[in-house]
Amino acid sequence: MQIEDDEILQGFIEESLEHLADIETDLLAIEKAGADIDENLVNKVFRAAHSIKGGAGFMGLTVIQELSHAMENILGMIRSRKLVPNPEIVNVLLQGSDKLEAMINNIQSSNDEDITEHLIPLNAIAEGNAAQAAAPKPAPEPLVEAIPKPVVVPEPVVTPEPVINEAVAPEPAPAPTPEAVTPVPEPIVPPVSVSPAQKLTAPPATSQLTAATTAPQVKADTSLRVHVSLLDSLMTLAGELVLSRNQLLQTIGSNDLRNAEAVGQRIDLITSELQEAIMLTRMQPIGNVFSKFPRVVRDLSKQLNKTIELTIVGNDVELDKTIIESINDPLTHLIRNSVDHGIEMPADRKQMGKAEKGIIILKAYHEAGQVVIQIRDDGKGLDGEALAASAISKGLITAEQAMIMSDKEKVNLIFLPGFSMAKKVTDVSGRGVGMDVVKTNLDKLGGQVEIVSEVGNGTTISIKLPLTLAIIPCQIITTSGERYAIPQVNLEELLRIPANQVKKRVERVGNAEVVRLRGNLLPLIRLADVIETERTYWDQEEAEHKADRRGSIADRRGKTSPLFQTDSEGQGKENKSSTNDRSVTDRRFAASSALNIVVVSTSSMKYGLIVDRLQDSEEIVIKPLGRHLQQCKGYAGATIMGDGRIALILDVSNLAKMARLTSIDGTDRANEVALAAAELIRAQKDKQALLIFRNSEHEQFAVPLNQVERIEKIKRSEIEDMGGRRVMQYRGGSLALITVDDIASVHPLADQDDLLVIVFNICSKPIGLLAIGPIDAIEISSEIDGVTLKQPGIMGSIIIDAHTTMLVDVFEIVQTLYPEWFAEKPAFKVDKTSGVIPTILIAEDSNFFRNQVKSYMTESGYKVIEGADGAIAWDLLQKHADEISMVVTDIEMPNMNGFELTETIRKDPKYNKIPIIALTTLAADEDVAKGKAVGVDEYHIKLDKEKLMTCVHDYIKRLF
Amino acid sequence: MNESKATATNKILIELATFFVGDALCGMDILKIQEINKLMDMTKVPQAPSYVTGILNLRGQIVTIIDLGKKLGLGATDTTLNSRNIIVSSPGEHVGLLVTRLSDVISADTDKIERAPANMGGIQGEFFSGVYKTDDKLIGILDVNKVLRIEEQGH
Repeated sequence: MQIEDDEILQGFIEESLEHLADIETDLLAIEKAGADIDENLVNKVFRAAHSIKGGAGFMGLTVIQELSHAMENILGMIRSRKLVPNPEIVNVLLQGSDKLEAMINNIQSSNDEDITEHLIPLNAIAEGNAAQAAAPKPAPEPLVEAIPKPVVVPEPVVTPEPVINEAVAPEPAPAPTPEAVTPVPEPIVPPVSVSPAQKLTAPPATSQLTAATTAPQVKADTSLRVHVSLLDSLMTLAGELVLSRNQLLQTIGSNDLRNAEAVGQRIDLITSELQEAIMLTRMQPIGNVFSKFPRVVRDLSKQLNKTIELTIVGNDVELDKTIIESINDPLTHLIRNSVDHGIEMPADRKQMGKAEKGIIILKAYHEAGQVVIQIRDDGKGLDGEALAASAISKGLITAEQAMIMSDKEKVNLIFLPGFSMAKKVTDVSGRGVGMDVVKTNLDKLGGQVEIVSEVGNGTTISIKLPLTLAIIPCQIITTSGERYAIPQVNLEELLRIPANQVKKRVERVGNAEVVRLRGNLLPLIRLADVIETERTYWDQEEAEHKADRRGSIADRRGKTSPLFQTDSEGQGKENKSSTNDRSVTDRRFAASSALNIVVVSTSSMKYGLIVDRLQDSEEIVIKPLGRHLQQCKGYAGATIMGDGRIALILDVSNLAKMARLTSIDGTDRANEVALAAAELIRAQKDKQALLIFRNSEHEQFAVPLNQVERIEKIKRSEIEDMGGRRVMQYRGGSLALITVDDIASVHPLADQDDLLVIVFNICSKPIGLLAIGPIDAIEISSEIDGVTLKQPGIMGSIIIDAHTTMLVDVFEIVQTLYPEWFAEKPAFKVDKTSGVIPTILIAEDSNFFRNQVKSYMTESGYKVIEGADGAIAWDLLQKHADEISMVVTDIEMPNMNGFELTETIRKDPKYNKIPIIALTTLAADEDVAKGKAVGVDEYHIKLDKEKLMTCVHDYIKRLF
Repeated sequence: MNESKATATNKILIELATFFVGDALCGMDILKIQEINKLMDMTKVPQAPSYVTGILNLRGQIVTIIDLGKKLGLGATDTTLNSRNIIVSSPGEHVGLLVTRLSDVISADTDKIERAPANMGGIQGEFFSGVYKTDDKLIGILDVNKVLRIEEQGH
């Protein structure tokens, strides 16, 4: 090879590759346009081929020159409209450009390539003989004729040739066989060395061989294009940094502390800017990867006789170079899968009432600091049941495991190693290796894959990727005296269970420990156990780590005990919910016994990691660990913290594996967990949150916690008696005060100096209920007795910790004492003028609540039909379809719950217009969302009479 | 030392940095040493092989520190004021060797380096590339590549 100037050659390679990258998309566009030729486009491709030809000629790369020349000829004919581009012609051109690319990538041996199979069809087209072009037959003769100077070539070159070809062109092009297998006949060799510039015809065969075999592997770009403006700004920043350093050195010399601070700030700013700018240089548009997919889809769909349209959105979304490079293969695989398995044959599609042309949408966009790549097809979708059945038959999971899997889990079975979803193995995909490899590759990048699929309607695969690999935000935690970092992408939430609730919320299921989190059971792993270090806990009082020897988490009797203390943290939620079992003198309830849990998620599961301390979240730079530490699977790397020490970065999915925790772990334990979870949900949903207080020493009262606005501590002297009514100054106005004994015959308010005022908001006015302590907030699921102790101002009674507790009806008290407040609200009465009394169906299993809600309704003049569960309510609705104008339903009910009832009602076109109000004791966000999804119109908290009735009235008014 | 031997026409001197591992005096070619420091603020790596003391931040690079005493089968090296990390380069990274204390730098005549015995001061001979005798001392010359080799079963 006589290419002396490496730089020029490198320039040629880069430029040509760029041209080729464009050629592909442009050719596809030309194909699409057909006879309606876009001259600009054709011109562009023509020029690209032309400049490759020119450069190659200059460099003495004869074979490249020849091929690009042949292509240029055809493009010239298309340009002058002598030729109409049809798929066959474009095919030949595309294959030609592929070959060009392969040769340019492997420039040293390009002159030894055999391009006959490309030249023949190209020339045939040029001669107006497209028919022959379509069926290319390797016929060496014309080529040899075309080359004027057969130079003597020593034997050795001939033998390595097939090997080289095989290594260089592994494409699935239709004709690799003749090229590689048939022994190359003698006359074909000459093109190797025709170039006049080339005197050295036969370089040692061995060196060529190595060049050929090693070159294709080194595909990762070693150079990168950076915008000059970015480079300029980097330069400026570097200059600034040098200036600041000088300043810093000066300041250190002069001992000027104030100035040092300023310089420190400056350096801080410059460093962050510099970091950002440098990261920007690594960012590349994802379009670089996306651009090859139109071709992939085109070739593949042709091969499979499908018609598919690929839409690409978000070409300009930028990602780190390393990610761009490694995302290519997984994406290609997914796209191929969509084409091969996702989209059905045109005939099948037609039968199903779909358009014959399948649609694949490839989309990239930013979301929550990550880049999401979505591949959506409108094909046949994934059948979770079929996948599960197939996984069972392959012995990957057991039937029991499949039983407890959610649909999503079933669809995600596809990621199991050894799972192939194709019914038949095709050439394109479906060899049983695939999706699991895709997933492993994405895991390596810190990405997550998720499949959502609907049978018959298509599949959406979402890949979430971090913007960059180099710097990631992490949560810092401490265990056994060492700091660890958990990548923020894996972080779901941080959970602190106060000491006095640990026993209640953490329990053993089988031999695993789990925590209750919003009605679900979350498996727990102790970080110290998984990585086998000493268990410790953080003693806040003495600010040090102490050894912890408890066997199970729920055992709160540590041998070395922290100081006795009241749980000082948070008079908030934690305090409200169970102060009754708190004992001040028991060390088990010390704050240091609280559990710190990091809830992390991997793509397949969620679990809680118990750590000693939670610290800040920081942006960290990932550094690899040395080879001596490669065996430690629990770490993804290490990072250097602000103080110069190192913290290890945890690999949460490997930690789960090390703790033998897998989501598709369907042993008895998983069954147990699933059952226990269901049980828990049932038990928890119907809980009523109550605020307990006293009026006198002897009687305990309660009000629904959700009605309470706030609680104030006051002195008796603050109460003023005005106009026969008690008031106090409160937030710049007067607050009317009431006591339970105002209307109920209970013991009068205790004669104490320290009083409590429980503030409610009724008819949008604040009202204070005088009471004495101790107060407490509890959750209870006992049945409320609405008969025995019922009297004015008291709704009923309930047993709380062996104390009979009266449930106060604040609403009623206020109504009796301040009837004028309600007079302003005529809206609550049904409009009798229309003559129709609206009927409301109430579905509620608890007698107490049903009666309560019923009384609200009848009081306002509505007619009520009641059902003790969802199924009864449904029957009633069908029977009284004409009368019922609204449904008010509880969520947790036997036989048919509120969600199911709503769903049933909404499915029936007869009733799908009827308003449905759901009542719940605890309105968790997920419930609200679920309710909205099945068709609930409004959510209300039980016993919040005012809001409920306003809402009921609103809906009724709309109906009449 | 092989390369030195190959060209040993005359007397060729190499500089040996010597140090104590426990009570054993060892040495290595000073040119193989990147630096020597006394940074002892290491981060422990749970589940690491037992001979790994921890990892260290060496100006932004993560360096694995190997307890030479443990690696050579002499038992753990106590970190005292005298202990030092000898940083050597290994393919793709730097590795630190924790030693008990440093000793002198000695000019050694390569011709006088002898084959190591099967066992030397409780250390297996395979870790040494040779032995050098001075007037009063016997220095085992460490084969760094052997020391840094990763065994299949941790250690």
